[in-house]
Amino acid sequence: MELAPSVLNLDWQEVETKIKRFIKDYVEKSGAKGIVVSLSGGLDSSTVAALSALAIGGDKVLGLILPEKETRNEKDIEHAKLVAEKFGLKSQVCDITPTLEAFYKTIPIFDPAEKVCKGNAKARTRIVYVYYYANKLNLIVCGSSDKSETMIGYFTKWGDVAADIYPIMDLYKTQVRKLAQHIGIPKEIETKPSTPALWPGQLAEKELGIKYEQLDLILYGLEHFMKPKEIAEQLGIEKELVDKIKHRWLSAEHKRRIFLTPKLEYRTIGADFRLPRSYY
Amino acid sequence: MKEKIKIALAQISCKREDKAENLTKIEKTVIKAKKQSADLVIFPELSLTGYVVRDQIYELAETIPGPSTKVIEDISRKTKAHIIFGMPELSEKTQATIYNTAVLVGPEGFIGKYRKMYLPTHSVFEEKRYFRPGYQAAVFDTVLGKVGLIICYDIFFPEVSRLTRLKGAQLMVCISASPATRRAFFETLTVARAMENTAFLAYVNLVGIEDGLQFWGGSRIVGPNGKVLVQAKYDDEDLVMCDVDYADIRSVETFVPTLKDLRPELFDELKKQAENL
Repeated sequence: MELAPSVLNLDWQEVETKIKRFIKDYVEKSGAKGIVVSLSGGLDSSTVAALSALAIGGDKVLGLILPEKETRNEKDIEHAKLVAEKFGLKSQVCDITPTLEAFYKTIPIFDPAEKVCKGNAKARTRIVYVYYYANKLNLIVCGSSDKSETMIGYFTKWGDVAADIYPIMDLYKTQVRKLAQHIGIPKEIETKPSTPALWPGQLAEKELGIKYEQLDLILYGLEHFMKPKEIAEQLGIEKELVDKIKHRWLSAEHKRRIFLTPKLEYRTIGADFRLPRSYY
Repeated sequence: MKEKIKIALAQISCKREDKAENLTKIEKTVIKAKKQSADLVIFPELSLTGYVVRDQIYELAETIPGPSTKVIEDISRKTKAHIIFGMPELSEKTQATIYNTAVLVGPEGFIGKYRKMYLPTHSVFEEKRYFRPGYQAAVFDTVLGKVGLIICYDIFFPEVSRLTRLKGAQLMVCISASPATRRAFFETLTVARAMENTAFLAYVNLVGIEDGLQFWGGSRIVGPNGKVLVQAKYDDEDLVMCDVDYADIRSVETFVPTLKDLRPELFDELKKQAENL
């Protein structure tokens, strides 16, 4: 298999249609009134919010903009509002700073310098807000995780990844960019650097030490059972880098598969209860 | 036996785990097809229960004959249409041994069944976990001609449809639950199986989304020369009809004599190689 960027090309109209059908079908079957998305103004959440609006109508989609003091970026808020306006979805801003500050105060071992713990708390706090709206308004939570970040575990367990459905989780980041372009996400959102916004100045590619263009091809190769050596040779990179990505991918499975328990009984949750996801 | 028949491809979506609702849909569809003079109405694989039912299959499977086949027999008797549909079949001799089965009934009652031989268990498929494979190709001599039954992934193995043809099938029926990513395979293989066997092939696929899996529809009838005679919509429910004249087989078979030119001695070698793969 040749690992050229073209392997990531898809028929974007077909992808759009499939995702919209998936969203609409799920919302209809669940009996929910619509969708809520945590809308950061970044590429992934903007794309998911827009696809949701295109699938079920913007009036049934709510984009929650959830800034907090340390990572607040007026440009991102502006972008989130821009998407809401362009695709006709509702939006609401909740500043989560007071919640976080109150939370930090109640933790005896709180360490303000520990940015990862704090960052994850932010991601989890955002999801508490999202699910409050979902419960109150009978909405489905649409997740914005993409395949690149989900494969390497670049997300917060029980945090940003928590959702009911994941419309773009089978698309690598660079594929999401193409889809965003196809459905008319404003250029400035499509091209801006990705950030999980867990601490000030955090940029995904800088933190990961690799460009998404390269990461996606490595992951694509691994997905297709290619050996790290072969991937490295084809992409002209060090095998150690591919090994590192492979290790990240395999060691993050605990973040993707929930409910691990020792098997004690006849049918065990997470192990051998195999049921359809929903019952209606 | 009729030389010319009208076939209806009933491309439906199913309500998962709701046999009563699916039987109602089957009945309504057969009545609708009969109004358009269909002799045979074909439904997708596991159309009684839906495809992605996982462990619930143990609660849904029924023996044949059983309560659901009885309902279908009544529909057939009432409408005078032949019906082919799919269901999880519980073995009469055991309590949890299940087959993925295609059933053929006619106005006179149950005609026959076929148990899927090739059970996909890779990627999104987990059929071997739940089903026991069938061991016999099935062809039934009916007033609508000789009808062979195969199911979905069987079509990837030319020997299954070939066997039905060698047993005399004029019409090979493939009921299916194929997700969208497999469309290119089925569009090619349906044509290939019809051409190489010089017989008609009716392919009926599921539509709708079950547990995130999107079924693409695209049901079709292919003539013995490989021509697609009718094709249903992609992705949406549809009911399409087509007249089939078995006399058309003759001219194709004469000048594309794949049956006449069969080399049985190769099959021994094929068996030997397959055993040592």
